[in-house]
Amino acid sequence: MEASVRLLHRYEMSATQHTLRRAFTAQAHPAKGVICRSCRAGIVRRHASSSAAAAEAAPAPEINILAEQIPRTAEHIPKAAPAVTQSYQMRAGVVLSRPPQITRDLTPFEKSFFLYQRRLNERLALPFTRYFYFRKDTPADIQYKRRVKERQTPARDIGKYNAYGAEGWNDELLVGAVESEPEHQMQELLKDAEEPTKEEETATSLEQPMPRITEADKLNDQKSLNRLLQRTLYLLVQNQQGRWVFPNDILQGRENLHMAAERVLVQTGGINMNTWVVGNAPIGYYKFDLLKPVVDGPNQVLGEKVFFMKARIMAGQADLATNLFGLKDFKWLSGEELQTHVSPLYWKSVRGMILER
Amino acid sequence: MKSFWSLNGLAGTWPACQIFPSRTLAVQLPISRFSTSATLQARKGKGGPKKDKRIVLIRYFLNHPRTPRPLRFSRLRALRHWAIHRAWNLYKAKQRDREERDLERMYNSMRLACEELRQIGENGMPGGKDEGRLYRVAMEKRNIWQGAPIEYARIQTDWPSKSGWNHEWKRG
Repeated sequence: MEASVRLLHRYEMSATQHTLRRAFTAQAHPAKGVICRSCRAGIVRRHASSSAAAAEAAPAPEINILAEQIPRTAEHIPKAAPAVTQSYQMRAGVVLSRPPQITRDLTPFEKSFFLYQRRLNERLALPFTRYFYFRKDTPADIQYKRRVKERQTPARDIGKYNAYGAEGWNDELLVGAVESEPEHQMQELLKDAEEPTKEEETATSLEQPMPRITEADKLNDQKSLNRLLQRTLYLLVQNQQGRWVFPNDILQGRENLHMAAERVLVQTGGINMNTWVVGNAPIGYYKFDLLKPVVDGPNQVLGEKVFFMKARIMAGQADLATNLFGLKDFKWLSGEELQTHVSPLYWKSVRGMILER
Repeated sequence: MKSFWSLNGLAGTWPACQIFPSRTLAVQLPISRFSTSATLQARKGKGGPKKDKRIVLIRYFLNHPRTPRPLRFSRLRALRHWAIHRAWNLYKAKQRDREERDLERMYNSMRLACEELRQIGENGMPGGKDEGRLYRVAMEKRNIWQGAPIEYARIQTDWPSKSGWNHEWKRG
């Protein structure tokens, strides 16, 4: 008799525990701190990704019933949590960049090292095979002889140096020599090409290449894409609050980040930009927590999460006339300029996406 | 001495000393030939088979007596060269290191963003039935090169283009 009672008791206990467990599973342990720690450890854990917000939304009448039935465990069970969901505003941003158009400036060390190497090469190279390139006694041949007599070497842009002469050992230049400047070398090449190949021909002046520093550089026109040709430029827009940010917008419906990025580009800068969104994966994200959550009905908005997609611009210019986000202004900025425009917090989460050059 | 141009077509029979009279050899070595097949003897009066002048010239210059050129350095100059070489290697190493760190920074940024995306649903919080949907879509590699403009392959030049950036570009 006693044994059966004990059995029954055990059965009851296990049954109640089972029910409890199910109840908690359905409720899926809401926020931390509502249930005590030991209880939480005892309850079957759901998947790590289970949502507190979703659980809070679920009704909990079952728990109340249980609380009446089993007073011993009642103290562990919380009152029904208010049905509030928490969320972050999900946004897609676009880091639209113009790639560098020209090569970077060489450092003085690089410049002098390259010229040093070229002169060493001159010391090692075979003599120029003149008759292979110029038929004897033709105007071109005479021209060539005249030039070589002047610069003493067939190479056109390493300055006056004869690797075969008695001074051949003296191939080094002093620091800051003009011969190592790319600008000077380019002019030498042009000068060489300018002279007529036949004596009767008049010299046709070749057109100079465009300067590496453009007009927009001099004017510091930050809206122009002709500026800072050796750097990557990023499109930054000024939003309604006056903050400088990358173009971004809330994800709408079931669209993914790539689609959203393409939409944001068009809705920000108009259709007259030849852009390409690179890849499907985000290249960085920015999370912003509001000091006080914004209550929107049953929903609490805790802040925003912006996922940035990488995009390149090939042609065209941004035009904010038709933008849908109330943007005030835009600028094309390099990495350093960008840092001075955005807030420190923004920069901290964004700087990983910004190239050094 | 015969002039250089009168020797056309007779390259196989050139002795080196005819071209460079200043250089006297005790033993006249034949210049190596392009072809390994036997050279036919010249017929009387007709000359040998016509040879390409350009090939003759190339052979002449490749067998230049001053090859290989010696690069002789004085002691201090050799030391200086070594220092320059070391400095260059150090410079390149630093540059490479900087580039690698730049790439690493970008990779970490991407990884963090993707990890965050993996853990959240449509409402920006973990959980829910659409948890990780955006991540799954973002990881798709299908058609990622679709629509890549040809200008994407443009390489950097030393000097900018004459027309500059095309600000006036219009779609359609």
